[in-house]
Amino acid sequence: MTAAARLTDVRKTYRVGDLEVPAVRGVSLEIEAGAFMAIAGPSGSGKTTLLNLLGALDTPTGGAVEIAERPTAGLSARELADFRGAHLGFVFQTFNLIPVLTARENVELPLQLQGVGDRAERRERVERVLTDVGLADLMDRRPTELSGGQQQRVAIARALVKRPTLVLADEPTANLDSATAGEIMALMRGMNERLGTSFVFSTHDPLVMEHARRLVRLHDGLVKSDERRDGGSGVR
Amino acid sequence: MSAEARAGRLGFFTLGRLAWRNLRRNRRRTWITAVTVAVAVLLMQFAMALMMGVERQSFDNLINYQTGHAKVFANGYYAAREDLPLDRGIAAAETLQVRLRAVPGVQATAARLTFQAQLSNGSDQLPCVGIGIDVGGSDTDVFRIPQAVTDGAYLEPDRLGMLIGGGLAEVLGVGLGDWLTVLAKTLNGAFEAVDLEVVGVLGTGNPAIDRGTFLVPLALAQTMLAMPGAATEIAVRFRPAAREGATLGRLRAAAAESGLDARGWREIEFDFLALVSAKRTGRTVALVVFLTVALVGVTNTILMAAFERTREIGMLMALGLRGSGVRRLFLAEGALLGLLGGAVGTLVGAVLIAWLAVSGLDIASVYGDLDIGYPVQDRIYTAFDAGALLFGWLLAVALAALASLYPAARASRLDPVEALRHV
Repeated sequence: MTAAARLTDVRKTYRVGDLEVPAVRGVSLEIEAGAFMAIAGPSGSGKTTLLNLLGALDTPTGGAVEIAERPTAGLSARELADFRGAHLGFVFQTFNLIPVLTARENVELPLQLQGVGDRAERRERVERVLTDVGLADLMDRRPTELSGGQQQRVAIARALVKRPTLVLADEPTANLDSATAGEIMALMRGMNERLGTSFVFSTHDPLVMEHARRLVRLHDGLVKSDERRDGGSGVR
Repeated sequence: MSAEARAGRLGFFTLGRLAWRNLRRNRRRTWITAVTVAVAVLLMQFAMALMMGVERQSFDNLINYQTGHAKVFANGYYAAREDLPLDRGIAAAETLQVRLRAVPGVQATAARLTFQAQLSNGSDQLPCVGIGIDVGGSDTDVFRIPQAVTDGAYLEPDRLGMLIGGGLAEVLGVGLGDWLTVLAKTLNGAFEAVDLEVVGVLGTGNPAIDRGTFLVPLALAQTMLAMPGAATEIAVRFRPAAREGATLGRLRAAAAESGLDARGWREIEFDFLALVSAKRTGRTVALVVFLTVALVGVTNTILMAAFERTREIGMLMALGLRGSGVRRLFLAEGALLGLLGGAVGTLVGAVLIAWLAVSGLDIASVYGDLDIGYPVQDRIYTAFDAGALLFGWLLAVALAALASLYPAARASRLDPVEALRHV
């Protein structure tokens, strides 16, 4: 099986004034295609940094990051943007929908950025994915007219509509109550199984970790444990 | 456009729609900015229309009171015109006019005899320019002198009278019914004097006429200067619908056949036109600077909008929007502000300009007797020019986009990771 992403001895150091702060200190991971993986760890353990590296939002200071068999090293800001547009989907803790656009328009945005020129095709794809996430009746609402869980469903639809190799979700349930969080995790897991899209999400919520088929724990910028639970828990 | 070329950007309509909705997020700020733009554009449109109106009026003034559309001279006169040489006149003026009137596009012609003279009120004597005009005949077909008579009446063919420029009358201390002595050198070099009654005072707005010229009947001037039937120039008016350049070309050809020399008014008034053109350039620069300064509000608005939406920019970048796409997003918002504010300013301006194009603005009451540097009379009328209004509007759009260049460029250089962390 090909890897969705591969990290080889990845390091990331931030400079704060004269101080060098290592956030990731040598992580090697292979994320297989179709993975449903959680990255867990306390604040400051490097979760977000690792997710940013996997999301081609950032490039490592050492080691190599490959996504869809392509190294991100040496890519310019513009090439990184194009790369993200083509291969990656994002789900954020704070949903980050554009408030002036309807659910439908928010989901259509990545397709427009990708230059999917045919309006009819875009419409069809947007409606299909919004139906898949359970928002068939709410497509023309704006984010402010949706609950948190519904907004996160729009965000998942937005991440999936362009059929990315890998979806990265940074604490996707942190702003949701536990019941809604469970629904969102179930939805992501369901989409992962149906579409084969790889998901990597960060969390420090044990309930959320239970949904993962693979759990990587970070501590101080290093992998502390890598636990596979194939055929694992799913929804409880 | 191919998918490859469009990757990382948003299409024109998506961009426009997004910009419009984003502007509506903070309506009050948008309105305040749009109103500033509108006021600036209104002032600019009005200033442009006023200047253009003054220019057009000054051109009409020159044509109506001084040059006609063209003048025909004897060969050699034009080069020596500063000296008003009587020995380079046109002998058989009448027959020549018949030929010139036959030129397509020519509406009327009038013979004039211009000469150097001294005007005396008995105690003081002033050098001036005298012009013999065809009073009973065709002068009023070419020129609009009767409209410029501010006091008294127009000349009569058989009366020993003169029309005198208002400024000249003031200097000589004369008014209607007073007599002045005209002293001039005839074609033969002898001096001749004649006493004439001031029958009318001229206020053309053109200093060259008002401060230094008097008009007498052509026959009287011909007799006095011993030049019967002669003139120094034939002034020509074109038909309103005639194309100026083409008509002038034909007039030149016809004049050349008769061994004469035709010159268009733009050539005769070359110095004035050069001055107008220089003034116009200076004014345009001043207006663009003014508008640019006025549009700093747009810079501020876009700067704040970009700051407020930092995380959204990060999200869009994560989705694959390139830096150039972010730049375009905010440029579109600025341009849209210019488009909206400019539309309001231009509309209000158009109404005001249309009104003053008909009713005119009394500059005498605003400036008093101040010389504004253009030969115009007391009322000036704005020029209603749809093309100029459209230009002003588009200029506002372009400058508003320019004003958002800095905040847009700043937003486009954001690091997506930093932007996403922004609270």
